[in-house]
Amino acid sequence: MNRLVTVAEMTLRELVRRRGVLLLLLLMPLTFWLIRRDSHVGQSVRALLLGISWAVSTAALFATSAARELEPRLRLAGYRPHHLYLGRMLGLWALGLAVSVPFFLLTVFDANNLRYAGIAVAMLCCVAVAAPLGMLIGALLPREMEGTLLLLTVVAVQMLLDPTSSAAKLMPFWSSREIASWAVDHTDDGYLSRGVLHAAVVTALMLVTVAGLFGVRLRRRRHLRHAPLV
Amino acid sequence: MNDDEWLRAFGAELHQRRVAVDAARHVIAEAATHLREGGGDPWLVFGPPQAYAAAIVESIGTAPGPRPGPVRLHATGITKRYGRRTVLRDATLTVRAGQIAAVIGANGCGKSTFLRICAGLISPDAGEVTVAGRLGYCPQQGGTIDFLLPDEHFVLVGAGQGMARGPARRAGRAAARQLGWDAESTVLARHLSGGTRQKLNLTMSTLAAPDVLLLDEPYQGFDQGSYVNLWDQLARLRDEGRAIVVVTHLLNQLDRVDTVLDLTPAQQGGRR
Repeated sequence: MNRLVTVAEMTLRELVRRRGVLLLLLLMPLTFWLIRRDSHVGQSVRALLLGISWAVSTAALFATSAARELEPRLRLAGYRPHHLYLGRMLGLWALGLAVSVPFFLLTVFDANNLRYAGIAVAMLCCVAVAAPLGMLIGALLPREMEGTLLLLTVVAVQMLLDPTSSAAKLMPFWSSREIASWAVDHTDDGYLSRGVLHAAVVTALMLVTVAGLFGVRLRRRRHLRHAPLV
Repeated sequence: MNDDEWLRAFGAELHQRRVAVDAARHVIAEAATHLREGGGDPWLVFGPPQAYAAAIVESIGTAPGPRPGPVRLHATGITKRYGRRTVLRDATLTVRAGQIAAVIGANGCGKSTFLRICAGLISPDAGEVTVAGRLGYCPQQGGTIDFLLPDEHFVLVGAGQGMARGPARRAGRAAARQLGWDAESTVLARHLSGGTRQKLNLTMSTLAAPDVLLLDEPYQGFDQGSYVNLWDQLARLRDEGRAIVVVTHLLNQLDRVDTVLDLTPAQQGGRR
């Protein structure tokens, strides 16, 4: 447990000290909110949620890429793969929640007649999905440029797809749109439950995939045998 | 180089050459007294520290080195190919407790690859490595985190071995002091100079007291004093019974190691 917490703490410390990154993390969702502010409030909420998702997954992507060279030596220092990816994910989730709080307050003060609990749940789902998504891309593509382009593609497709199409349900952040509909348009509870279920399944799938990728990359190699110390 | 620096370098040379601790202390005290009372530049009075230490060793001899202990690392038949290019062919190395092994060779001959295979970071196409005890590894670059303090690096590495924060910080600072670096500063790793950053890198690898220490050109960016401290530290670790493998291209240091593996293609294999 101590190892998990230590990795999470160091991930947070590292990200929080990147002031420029923090500023941009906040700027991205804010920009998304402001651009859509004059239109229907649902549009600005959905854009805000996508902005948070994008910001957190980008932070996760870069944190994963930056740690790539360090992780093998931490493995030798006694960490197991799950300490490293779970610890990092915990740190990113904490950062995502911290980034979401001011935007939740923004919706409370700047928009009326919303189900605010729904907004909070949608933000939680965004953060839950975004951290493993960024880590997954970072683990799959070692070069930051390639990872960034793939993430950009995923988010762009998410924005452009018709949300009612079946293809949209395959996108990682479909859940936030469903829950936002429940929160903004006061639709039936099915939207909320579908959204939460989608987020849970996507998060679990990505977590398992991240675990697999880290497990393979940081595995104990078969040529290395450990003899007892005499 | 002032008197103190000269004496420090001289002391490190004596230590490297395994002059008995009491005898070395006595010789250094005599040299210090001579300089204090007689004055003069130590380079003119005694000459270079290395040469004077060599003369002392000839005169008083060295303490018998500790007998090499049991085998700590045994790499045999290591072959590695990248595509059609074979970078390592049947490389073999055995290092015992209380020994320093140097891995040498031309650029691109697979020194770092060999070390990474020994550390279990990459797989060879053939061969196997047996390690007894805990492994420590210091990469050539990229082993530190830009936005963390040195203490936080120690805490992070220490936690891997189940060390509490306080002891991890203390152990890291003590290891850093052996390299002539005060690690108590609140400077982020990205603001450290190249040499100091490499000291942090090295300190991280020795923090958990590994039985086998693998170092990939650990002296990059070191000044002369730091370089002497490094070899002093390595000699100390060797005397404590660690098995150390150093990738190096500085051939003048090879007289201080116990085993050499030359990976230059024309001279494949190990020699002693």
